[in-house]
Amino acid sequence: MSQPKKILIIDDDPDFVEGLRSILEAANYGVDAAYNPKDGFQALQAKHYDLLLLDIMMGRGAEGIMVARKLNKDPKLREIPVLIITGIREQIAFLFPGQAVHPHFMPVDELVEKPVEPKFLLDKVSDLLHRAEARKAQAK
Amino acid sequence: MENKHKILVIDDEEVVLDSCREILAGGNYHVATAMDGTVGLKLVQEFLPDIVFVDLKMPGISGFEVLEKICALDPTIVTVVITGYATVSSAVEAMKKGAYDFLPKPFTPEELRLITQRGLEKRKLVLETIALRREKEMLREHFAAIVSHELKAPLSAIQQNLFALVAALSSKLTEGQKSLFERMKSRIDDLLKLIHTWLRVMSADIGKIQENFKSTLVTSAVSKAIESVQLHATHKDIEIITSVEEPSGLVHGDEGTLAEAFVNIIGNAVKYSRVGSQVIVKVEEKEDNVLISVTDTGVGISKEDLPFIFGDFYVGKSGYMVERGSGLGLAITRRIVEAHNGSISVESELGKGSTFVIRLPALKNDSHNQPTLDSEALANSQEGDT
Repeated sequence: MSQPKKILIIDDDPDFVEGLRSILEAANYGVDAAYNPKDGFQALQAKHYDLLLLDIMMGRGAEGIMVARKLNKDPKLREIPVLIITGIREQIAFLFPGQAVHPHFMPVDELVEKPVEPKFLLDKVSDLLHRAEARKAQAK
Repeated sequence: MENKHKILVIDDEEVVLDSCREILAGGNYHVATAMDGTVGLKLVQEFLPDIVFVDLKMPGISGFEVLEKICALDPTIVTVVITGYATVSSAVEAMKKGAYDFLPKPFTPEELRLITQRGLEKRKLVLETIALRREKEMLREHFAAIVSHELKAPLSAIQQNLFALVAALSSKLTEGQKSLFERMKSRIDDLLKLIHTWLRVMSADIGKIQENFKSTLVTSAVSKAIESVQLHATHKDIEIITSVEEPSGLVHGDEGTLAEAFVNIIGNAVKYSRVGSQVIVKVEEKEDNVLISVTDTGVGISKEDLPFIFGDFYVGKSGYMVERGSGLGLAITRRIVEAHNGSISVESELGKGSTFVIRLPALKNDSHNQPTLDSEALANSQEGDT
């Protein structure tokens, strides 16, 4: 069997993270978590991840968006597919008036609302992993 | 420590300036003076006074002009006009222009002190009002962010862990245990939805949706709404019957929020209907209005309750509580409809059912006015039509 895919969760709510982790680990993913953008960014630079689960509203505001913007500027890190998980879809629309509800921050990303049904979550994760792989194959 | 209050006196008579300074010297004030309007106005900007006393009759810029300019610079500055007995009528004129009070010459020290004190009190109130209003706006604007995070986050975490638990235990749980989990999940869902709806009322400036208005087909919003309540209707074995009369209602509006309004009304009809009954949704054009009516044969609304149903947090007391509601759906619906320059009305009889009618001003659908036009072009052609 192939190596389990590595997923990093950046979310400031440890309880929520555990809810995600249990579902992902049961589906044989390797899961690490960071509870603030800074640690999350360090983790991404220190180790290879196949996918990032990113919370938007952390700390003093929409810090998740800052993380996404920062990643997008990094030629290597921007290739990581990102699943944005946020509690407030309307808030996103509010932060980006005039834009569609899903603002694309990264080449491969998707937005889902908290809480996420397990099947839906796993579908999105595997879909994003496939899309990222297809993108990589195309680049070669 | 509180800052000293600042008082500026503008008068061409040095005697007046001197006496003002002297009288006010005892109090906790900074006093500045100017001999004419030009110097006075300069001081207003540099000295930033709380109160300005202005003589109406001065050489150079008139007292009236000084008043107007002060008001333009900072409308919160309290102005008091100084005037001789002969010009009481002009003092009244000045007060109409925004001066807070007038001080007739000659005045006693007591009169000046009193008016100063009252003026400062007024200034304090004005500033406080502005601060409170700003705070209220900030609160309202940030309410969404704060409440979303503080209330929704823990619920989301609970729900997510519940999901994880059910997924992990799925093979071991009995049907009964699964149904317990289902109950928890559905109650948390309700709570999340309630918070969402509540936020909508508290924070959403529904007037703002007008910025995105464009030519919209009412029927398409209606079908979307029906789609979203269909599942609930099927569960209760309720048939939703639609009747659309051609031409089918083009309005100037926002499809998303209109659909939200229709979901509320049709959803209510389903919610308050008895199992196995019908809900009739009708779209027709009458005169210059598109009428959307929703009729059910459900529990109905009592006469006493009818006047209140479009208010915030109203939940029917009709004895026959079928399902719980947040009491906000109709209030939101009313606001959405009103933002569309429409109206909503209801006829109902307890025990027999209700009919809600939403009226929206129709757009004439002629060759100049296809749904693809942008809202600006639409607004223009709309003017041409009426």
